[in-house]
Amino acid sequence: MTKTINASGVGNAIDRVEGHLKVMGKAKYASEFPVENKVYGQGINSTIAKGEIISIDTSEAEKLEGVLKVITYKNAEKLKAFDEERPELATDSIAPVLQSNKVHYYGEYVGLVVAETFEQAQYAARLVKFEYKKDSDALIDFEKSKSKAYTPDNDSNYSRGNMKLGLSEADMVVEQTYNTPIEHHHPMELHAVIAAWDNGKVTAYASQQIVEDAKIAISGTFQIPKEDVRVISAFVGGGFGSKLNLDRHVIMAVMASKMVGRPVQVTVTRTQMFTNTNMRQQNEQKMRVGAKKDGTLTALSHETLSHTSITQEYQEPCGMVSKMLYNVPNNEVTYKLIPMNLQTPFAMRAPGEATGSFALESAMDEMAWKLKMDPLEFRIKNDTQTDLHENRPFSSRLLVECLRIGADKFGWKDRKAEPRTNKKGNWLIGYGVSAASREAPYQKTHAKVILELEEDKIFATIQMDATDIGTGSYTIIAQTASEYLKIPVEQVTVELGDSDFPITPGSGGSWGAASYCNGARAACENAINTLKNNRNIKGDEEVTVSELLKQNQLTKFEAEGMAEPSAEFKKYSIFSFGANFSEVWVDKDTGMYRIKRMVNVGSAGKILNPKTAYGQIIGGLTMGAGMVIAEQSRVEPNFGNFITRSFADYHVPVNLDMANIDVIFLPEEDKIANKMGIKGIGELGITSVAASISNAIFNATGKRMRSLPITPEKLIEAGLEEGVTA
Amino acid sequence: MRPFTYTSATNKEQALKASTKTSHYLAGGTNLVDLMKEDVERPDQLIDVNKLDYKKITSNEKGGLSLGAMLSNAETANHPEIRTNYPLLSMAMLSAASAQIRNMASNGGNLLQRTRCPYFFETSMPCNKREPGSGCGALKGMNALHAIFGYSDNCIATNPSDMNVALAAIGATVEVQKKDGSSRMIEFTDFHRLPGDKPEKDNTLEQGELITAIHLSKPEFSDHYYYLKIRERSSYAFALISVAAGLQVKSGVIAKAGLAMGGVAHKPWKLSKAEEFLVGKKPNKSKFEAAADLAMKDAKPFEANKFKVEMGKNAIVRALTQAYEREA
Ligand SMILES: Cc1cc2nc3c(=O)[nH]c(=O)nc-3n(C[C@H](O)[C@H](O)[C@H](O)COP(=O)(O)OP(=O)(O)OC[C@H]3O[C@@H](n4cnc5c(N)ncnc54)[C@H](O)[C@@H]3O)c2cc1C
Ligand code: SF4
Repeated sequence: MTKTINASGVGNAIDRVEGHLKVMGKAKYASEFPVENKVYGQGINSTIAKGEIISIDTSEAEKLEGVLKVITYKNAEKLKAFDEERPELATDSIAPVLQSNKVHYYGEYVGLVVAETFEQAQYAARLVKFEYKKDSDALIDFEKSKSKAYTPDNDSNYSRGNMKLGLSEADMVVEQTYNTPIEHHHPMELHAVIAAWDNGKVTAYASQQIVEDAKIAISGTFQIPKEDVRVISAFVGGGFGSKLNLDRHVIMAVMASKMVGRPVQVTVTRTQMFTNTNMRQQNEQKMRVGAKKDGTLTALSHETLSHTSITQEYQEPCGMVSKMLYNVPNNEVTYKLIPMNLQTPFAMRAPGEATGSFALESAMDEMAWKLKMDPLEFRIKNDTQTDLHENRPFSSRLLVECLRIGADKFGWKDRKAEPRTNKKGNWLIGYGVSAASREAPYQKTHAKVILELEEDKIFATIQMDATDIGTGSYTIIAQTASEYLKIPVEQVTVELGDSDFPITPGSGGSWGAASYCNGARAACENAINTLKNNRNIKGDEEVTVSELLKQNQLTKFEAEGMAEPSAEFKKYSIFSFGANFSEVWVDKDTGMYRIKRMVNVGSAGKILNPKTAYGQIIGGLTMGAGMVIAEQSRVEPNFGNFITRSFADYHVPVNLDMANIDVIFLPEEDKIANKMGIKGIGELGITSVAASISNAIFNATGKRMRSLPITPEKLIEAGLEEGVTA
Repeated sequence: MRPFTYTSATNKEQALKASTKTSHYLAGGTNLVDLMKEDVERPDQLIDVNKLDYKKITSNEKGGLSLGAMLSNAETANHPEIRTNYPLLSMAMLSAASAQIRNMASNGGNLLQRTRCPYFFETSMPCNKREPGSGCGALKGMNALHAIFGYSDNCIATNPSDMNVALAAIGATVEVQKKDGSSRMIEFTDFHRLPGDKPEKDNTLEQGELITAIHLSKPEFSDHYYYLKIRERSSYAFALISVAAGLQVKSGVIAKAGLAMGGVAHKPWKLSKAEEFLVGKKPNKSKFEAAADLAMKDAKPFEANKFKVEMGKNAIVRALTQAYEREA
């Protein structure tokens, strides 16, 4: 038998297997399933931040042609309520809605109109009249609500060594506060659902990242058996964390469908995406860094003040990165939360790292400047191969290599250490660097493989409840099957996003690729091993899968597999690492700037498909640049609504903003992480990008910008004419 | 959206006749339809004027060119005659919105696009422009993007159009058809209003009047021009501040200056004093700075938009410098 090289196995830059479906509009997103007899629901939002509904007039809406039902707290089905005060928001949390006349934030759902057409529902929703009793003590202003801050009852506050001692040993201390605003995930695909009841069971076609948790949330909220719920998320047009948990539009659709006896579709509008889906909350991060003259870190503390909602708790782990990135003996990380009259924030791409690294990597740059040290060398000097927080080794850590290789590629040696010394006409030019890390979790995953023999050829179908949120899950799972079954990827079909399929952890936290692929691998290996065992074929004997089926006298065979972290996995800290380099040109008259170049080097384990991996990093870098350039959701100080209410006011980067981007992956296979050597990259790309750009802005202008986003107005206010203010 | 009827007019008489107090003309729809979806504009009838024959660029008696009101922004800005004779206008128009929106947007509609004040867009907020008498939410609210000139306590909104700023610098008259079939000319500087005690009125058009043409003054700034637009990202964002600058330089001296600012007032803000000051001067940095000081002298910013004063000065100096130094 001749050996052929498998050009579609893992590691190959093949095109997306679902690409054609997508460009032809045949990939079905939640609201595109042709469910018969479907009607439309339109959510109604509160227009006060705190208070009570005192009357509702639905008469005008109900008179309208096509209107089937107006649902408010008065006629809504009773749902499971929270068991405790302000429980933590989790990916499988219940999502009660329309349960009382109380209003907790501006934009909270207070009703749903169901009508024959989308247009009728939208119009009727405007005609329902609510009268409110407004409370004047709503907490809508972060600054003014600070006295309400509390320490959350979890174990995330942390310290090692002695901060006081560390600071007293330091020759230099940097003590600064860094601010990041509320940001929204805003995936291109709006959150949407079609809910349909049939024979006492409900199916929800919903745009969700974790199908199993969505199922748990629906069954928990309605107190119905899990078996009676099916969730389908075949294609998801981006999530970034906003679709990790189940939001209330899904519950309203399920409820409405039961009440009107027809399938109900609810699509969250772009404006509602600001108030009725997750967000990243505002953070105020106070950093203290102590170092010796030679650059040795002696102390590092990271205090985060954020807000949560009145009803549920979420705390972004901003200080996580400060616990493990550098070799610093004295370390302290604390958190405080303010309950505010806004919706509950939740994980947004690289929760903790994206914002925490802005604070840490800015502070590191400030310290390097104080020490008159190259910020690159300062970081390298404080590298550690041990995670001092967990007190265990990193499974692999190539941070220094990322920094060195990136510096070389970027031309870091040409950087002028003194700010404002690299000029061209009106432009002030600066270089910035930052280090990145992101935990690479890996979780228990089940998969099923169905093998079919047709004229000597094996066709394989992989089934799992995994989701592809635009990241490329379909493709890398197909490549995995192709690799382990030794068949071309064209003979592999991947079916995802159905809660009837084997359970996976879904997409989030950068665990998808490693978990899904190892799950699929396990199913394929199981299939082969079982087929071999049945015929007493030795495990290492090379037999094709088609041969195996023939020897077993089968034309079809199914097997399941499960992969999970090993005992060894738990003895290590498992992270991906990276380095970001940026060149920024700031116009000294206008405060506008261009990111001219970026180099990103990552060490993220086995790269399953360079194309989809580049896509993840480039997307991450762009989102990171967005944090610096313009992204911010602003709360109106008198009313508590978001005054950024569409893409015309919530600015994300455009092509012209973005640089020439070089993405480099260091060759690495981390077999401690998992059998296939995979780590996560979905969130590595966004991490510390903001610091790299803002450090470049300092190098260009001599102005240290500690509040994101860095807009032209802030730069003009900082004064671009002259001077270095550190 | 609220229900409405739709009429497509094939000539101006039909359009004028169909118009009522509660109807709206529909051109590109890029502003009007957005606002209808937001429930801010609530016409009961749309009169589509896209079939009317005002889609040409012709010569006028002032020695300039005239722009048909229903011609698209894209076709206007990219027209060879406009690019050659009115490059300032072309540059300003091409800095606006996105390619797709410019393809749809009409010249008449662009003059009439409404403010981007977020309170205006949100029907649960007070806004005198949307609902006279309800109060101005921005006055004591978030007003970083608001006016520093010519506002009243009733409204502090700005006019968002880039095209308008260039037209104010160049000089133009707007031709409108009245309901009775006659027509009238409105000086461009008189076309838009300051808010005063009627912020609901953006301009001096009477109910039902139809814009048919914009007559440009004779071209004077085809050698020295620049449109500077400062915004939060490199493209596809409204201006924080913009400056249209045109200079005519003869024998080393400024013979004529056209200067206007956007993002600072309820109407495109013509900098007449600065224009007058520059005439007869040798173009150099100190003169440009003096002109900028003069232009910004009367600015009355709020706490949140103080940055506009400094940014505005820089922008004027920069736009004049770029205009002057441009290779003819
Ligand atoms: C996302 C976005 C970004 C944008 N960015 C910018 C920008 O950066 N800079 C900028 O300048 N603009 C920008 N615009 C605005 C855009 O330029 C305007 O929407 C457009 O010029 C309006 O023209 P229209 O033909 O579509 O007008 P329509 O929406 O059709 O009409 C607007 C108004 O004018 C009336 N009208 C139209 N034609 C006539 C006529 N002939 N006579 C009398 N009344 C008439 C209508 O009744 C309506 O009230 C942006 C728009 C959007 C949606
Ligand atoms: S500034 Fe004008 S448009 Fe804005 S809220 Fe006040 S009145 Fe309304």
